[in-house]
Amino acid sequence: MQSLSPATLLVLVPLLPLAGAVLTLLLGRLLGSRAHLPAIAGIAAAAAVAVTLLLGTSNQVGSAHGPHAEPVRPVEMITTLWQWASVQDAYVPPEGSAAALPGTAVSGAGGAARAFTIPVALRLDPLTATLLAIITCIGLVVAVYSVGYMHHDPGYPRFFAVFSLFVFSMSMLVAASNFLVVYVFWEAVGACSYLLIGFWFTKPEAARAAKKAFLVNRVGDFGLAIATFLLWMTYGTLDFHDTLSPDGTILPGILGQTRLADAGGIVGGAVGTAICLCLLLAACGKSAQMPLHVWLPDAMEGPTPASALIHAATMVTAGIYLVARSAPLFMACPDALAAVSIVGATTALVAGLIATVQNDLKRVLAYSTISQLGYMFASLGTGTLLGFTAAIFHLVTHAFFKALLFLGAGSVMHSMGGVIDMRRFGGLRRIMPITAATFLVGSLALAGVAPFSGFFSKDEILATLHAKGWPNAHGEHHDAAPASHASLPLPLTPSASSLPRPPGEGRGEGAHTMRLASLTRSPVAAPAAVLDTPETFRVLFWMSLVTAGLTAFYTFRAVFMTFTGPTRVPEEAGHHAHESPPVMAVPLIILAVPSAIAGWWLFNSQWLAHFLTATPSFSAPAVTATAVPHAFHMDLAIQGSLAAAIGIVIAAIGHLGRRSDGPQMERFLGPLQTFFANRCYIDQLYAGLIVRPLEGLALVAALFDRFVIDGLVNSVARLPAALGGVVRRLQTGLLQRYALAGVMGVLAIVFVLAWRLRG
Amino acid sequence: MMPLLAAGSTALLHNALLVGAILFALGLVGILTRRNLIVMFLSAELMLQGISVSLVAWSRYHGDWGGHVLVIFVLTVAACEAAVALVFVLQAFSRTGRLDAAAWQALREATLPKAVDHALPASDAVPPRWPRLARAGVLPPADEDAALEREHV
Repeated sequence: MQSLSPATLLVLVPLLPLAGAVLTLLLGRLLGSRAHLPAIAGIAAAAAVAVTLLLGTSNQVGSAHGPHAEPVRPVEMITTLWQWASVQDAYVPPEGSAAALPGTAVSGAGGAARAFTIPVALRLDPLTATLLAIITCIGLVVAVYSVGYMHHDPGYPRFFAVFSLFVFSMSMLVAASNFLVVYVFWEAVGACSYLLIGFWFTKPEAARAAKKAFLVNRVGDFGLAIATFLLWMTYGTLDFHDTLSPDGTILPGILGQTRLADAGGIVGGAVGTAICLCLLLAACGKSAQMPLHVWLPDAMEGPTPASALIHAATMVTAGIYLVARSAPLFMACPDALAAVSIVGATTALVAGLIATVQNDLKRVLAYSTISQLGYMFASLGTGTLLGFTAAIFHLVTHAFFKALLFLGAGSVMHSMGGVIDMRRFGGLRRIMPITAATFLVGSLALAGVAPFSGFFSKDEILATLHAKGWPNAHGEHHDAAPASHASLPLPLTPSASSLPRPPGEGRGEGAHTMRLASLTRSPVAAPAAVLDTPETFRVLFWMSLVTAGLTAFYTFRAVFMTFTGPTRVPEEAGHHAHESPPVMAVPLIILAVPSAIAGWWLFNSQWLAHFLTATPSFSAPAVTATAVPHAFHMDLAIQGSLAAAIGIVIAAIGHLGRRSDGPQMERFLGPLQTFFANRCYIDQLYAGLIVRPLEGLALVAALFDRFVIDGLVNSVARLPAALGGVVRRLQTGLLQRYALAGVMGVLAIVFVLAWRLRG
Repeated sequence: MMPLLAAGSTALLHNALLVGAILFALGLVGILTRRNLIVMFLSAELMLQGISVSLVAWSRYHGDWGGHVLVIFVLTVAACEAAVALVFVLQAFSRTGRLDAAAWQALREATLPKAVDHALPASDAVPPRWPRLARAGVLPPADEDAALEREHV
């Protein structure tokens, strides 16, 4: 592997799962019960490559314990595979609006028409490398688990084909370096999600859930489409990275190092806010944030391994990735950033409340996923370096422990003959000790109990929210307003060698004549922020703290109901309720290890935080200005742990050692219990406001189609029938009539001929 | 010695064409009026022969053997056709037990009314008895008398 360049390796990461998917599709029938082999081989190879890339990128970034004054240089590598589209002179910057168009900051490009090019370019930077490693590694573990879980399913090859295709799409999504390519794979992961939710498509609930997920995601995708249009109109490019134009000037990408170095490079104001809110809408759709979260709980109709990988560990974090990647855009719009936090914290709280009264084990985990994703959004929305890295940190730890919990739930479901209602089984720790132990580890991590991974990532999120809410308590320049970024020095200087060249372009003298100009334009004065105030973040901090308690409560409620108390199994399980086979148990154990220790290690060594700092998006001056020294906030850790402890204790009082079908403590909530059990009536609200009117419209359209359109078509069709009705009367069935007709015809011909030949 | 009627004789042509036309007309009337399949078939043969006579007449008038050749050809085809047509008639008869072409009027357009004979031909008090054909491959019934005769055709 030493002989392969990083660019080749980067291409291999998506390519190998794609090859696995294609092979499985082609040979699935042939391979039968061995149909998992191509997919697992492809994902395993991709995982090895991704880990190699991660280590390589990490070496490039350097150690966290170096001299402190040295700023981290952004690490970025671009591989352009091919030009997808190219339209010459597609974008002409309007005259007189040069100030509003940062692309014109580079001399030579001002006023000139620019080409619309969509390069299929892959990028490698710390953020991408981290996510690629997570996607492929967890994908591999879940794929191995699926061998046991999907055993004997008639759609066995189909599952692995779509699964592998998903790993490909997700890798491309995080590796793409262009908003349009991101959009393509944004849709591709949505399609894979649709296929896997509706995997058992003969089941009406599954088909309906798949349709719902697809339709709700369309709303978010609409946001991404609008954001892409606006980005094109604003920046005249869709690339993340800088490119060299044929005449040697730099075309700054939206998130390229040239633009990030330019203090006024990112457009703020109304347009910037609109872009950011559209991106947020897209992220809300994919990451199941309010108000678009309704699809995720229903998505649990899919096979549990698919839920673990797609609807817990990876695909739903695409929204987090998008916002994190677009961090510089959001930094220019503090209100949009605050909106991210508000959406996130609200979702976290509401989903946590709903999760407390769910009786379906997978649904508890689904709402928990929504809630934890809300945490990540709340963290992103603080707009600090710590906030961004904490969100990715939580993404990583959450991927491990939530995949573990879902696989554990799948193990329970597998053993219980498909029953997932927690009231119908209990005391399973005696039957399934490995599942119980690993589930407990995952639950401790999710609840944020001290040495487990969730504790550290959650603590960082609480810390970053706290720092925004009480800026003075943390001292220093933590409340850096966007307007103060202009005076910062420029630590970034793009070098010619690091820039990708358009394919087929000669490296003549033109390539070296690029020059930067007027990078020190005065920034656009930021309007006073309405939402981005400490008071907002104080509220959000308390909401998050309450959510931490709720998380611990519902997690341990599930643990106690499932694994403690008298042993009960539903009749569907028959007499063979047993621990899952090794092919399922080993992945649980493998995932339990990082769930337990990854948080401590990553927090203690600060490896991830330091590594991510080298991501170009996080190395914008606006972001780096918010950097704070690494610290462990004991007071916040105590608050978080206290919340978790209260939650666990309440869960223990209500459920520890009791019959899981007994009266539940949530009944003390009274009407609230009904309210939460009905998921806050959000589905009903949507049904009343959107679905029913649309169905009415569809009914009107259907009636119009049936009676007006079909009527027209049918009347045209009736015309030949009417004509035929006239001629049909000749068919009497009497030979003599036919003969007579023949004779008459001959006579007619004879008369005509005679008439014409008469003279 | 001169032939009685030399080639190119208009008189012979006229006579022959007249005979041909009469034969053709008889056949045409027969096919349009009769419903018995065999009679209809005979009428068709009659028309064919009428044409053949005309062909021979023209051939002789022009001194061209083409017409004769065509007539021989027509006779050959007519012989084959007779074999095929009789098979069909026989099959039709064994299906319906009747030689009446109107027995097949069920093949008409379904919505049209059935043609009904308004005035049946006056029948004798004793219906004529016709020989009945034994079906191939079917053991004749024991009652010889009943087997050889049938009510009507």
